[in-house]
Amino acid sequence: MLEANLNIRLLEQCSRCEACYSICPSCRHLPGYDPREVIKDIIAGRFEKWLRSKSIWQCLECHYCLEMCYQHYGFENAMTALRAVAAKRGLHPPQVKRGWDMFAKTGRLGEPALPARKKFGLPEPAAGGAEEFKKLHALLKAKRSEKENEKQRAKGQKAERT
Amino acid sequence: MKEFAVFWGCTIQTRFPFLEKSTRMVLKEFNLPFRDIDGFTCCPEKSLVNNVDHAAFTLTGARNVALVDEAGLDLVSPCTGCVSNLATVKSGLKADPREKGEVNALLKEVGREFTGIANLSHLVPFFHDAVGAHKIRQKIKRNFAGMKLAAHYGCHMIRPGYALRNDDPLDPKKFDNLMTALGAESLQFPTKLMCCGQGLDRVDQHDNALYFARLKLKELKAVGADALVLCCPSCFLQFDNNQFLMEKEGEKLGVPIIYFTELMGLALGFNAEELGMTAHRVDVTSFLQKWEAVSKMPLNGAGIDEAMNSAGALG
Ligand code: SF4
Ligand code: SF4
Repeated sequence: MLEANLNIRLLEQCSRCEACYSICPSCRHLPGYDPREVIKDIIAGRFEKWLRSKSIWQCLECHYCLEMCYQHYGFENAMTALRAVAAKRGLHPPQVKRGWDMFAKTGRLGEPALPARKKFGLPEPAAGGAEEFKKLHALLKAKRSEKENEKQRAKGQKAERT
Repeated sequence: MKEFAVFWGCTIQTRFPFLEKSTRMVLKEFNLPFRDIDGFTCCPEKSLVNNVDHAAFTLTGARNVALVDEAGLDLVSPCTGCVSNLATVKSGLKADPREKGEVNALLKEVGREFTGIANLSHLVPFFHDAVGAHKIRQKIKRNFAGMKLAAHYGCHMIRPGYALRNDDPLDPKKFDNLMTALGAESLQFPTKLMCCGQGLDRVDQHDNALYFARLKLKELKAVGADALVLCCPSCFLQFDNNQFLMEKEGEKLGVPIIYFTELMGLALGFNAEELGMTAHRVDVTSFLQKWEAVSKMPLNGAGIDEAMNSAGALG
């Protein structure tokens, strides 16, 4: 169901290429930020050691690597993947946690500033879509656990047979 | 021109309502067919939502696009992040029919459908392409001749290029062209296309965010920029708010930060106060004063015709 994935075959090229390294702002300016190391570890199956590192949150998502890349891939994908795994384990920065909670609860990252709107003579803000958003996300959750149950059942049947 | 919905996004409406103000004033003055529609949520923000849950990112973005698809509108946003995120979702779904099917199966249960027919534009390329430099020049009352402006595109105005397809993602021209249309000199400088670095503030790395802000602001000082012009609330936060925080710590860089809609608004004859520019944290007075001063200067080429045609030794 709408799964994220990482293309290891393309990352293997990355580990030998490094063409975008010299244009990546974080590589140039943040000591210790080195996607090449991260990618080598992912390929070698050692991604765990990066989950608690600050580095994986230092990709600016500026998409320079993506634009430079002859594979149209970009090593930012490795960072996105590790961030997602870190978040699943609850290892994401506190601010990301707060942001996510707000998003999941209200469908927004903040509510329109009403007094200031009045001061600037702005019209009433249009209605948001929080209700429908929440319904949709509940549906997504239900679909996911349905899939998960199916997987478990299939596993169980397989175990019974053997 | 096709009617369009404005996608304000969370940051402008939550933190910078004055940016909504100047945007509305400029859109109205150009008689552009814009509307507000009900039902939008957060775009959603990629660096937050996609990093945590890819499916939630795709589904939320698809629902927002479905709203304009159904209403038969295009979408324009004064926020680079919003457009980039929505366009990323849209092009992803258009390229992946299976994922589109999954998304639409869920959307159907709330009575919606993603088709992806609506055009999604950021305000700057929209002004460049749909309004045009010619019309802008006709409409403005004052220009910025004599001013040195540094345009900051903001990564997400132009990247990812495959999703936005609105300019050269590594060598964009449209924002520069608009500066020139407004009569200003659009400065070229080494960090011109470098990311603002605001993302680091969202992952609890404030010092690194300041490092990136400082890098560009110092360079702008060195090249003599009268202001940094941008059109993204996140970049605005980085250069206005964070510059202010540095000022408070005794590091005064003094680079006024001007939103594209404010620059346009000034050229249209509105004043800084009604455009909400007094709400900035970094003072814009030096920019306005210089503008007043250069406006009073004689026009380019003044006096040469007269000198050429005056009497002299040749009789
Ligand atoms: S997207 Fe991330 S990894 Fe890619 S160039 Fe930008 S900062 Fe570097
Ligand atoms: S992202 Fe592309 S350009 Fe960058 S190192 Fe990998 S293969 Fe090379």
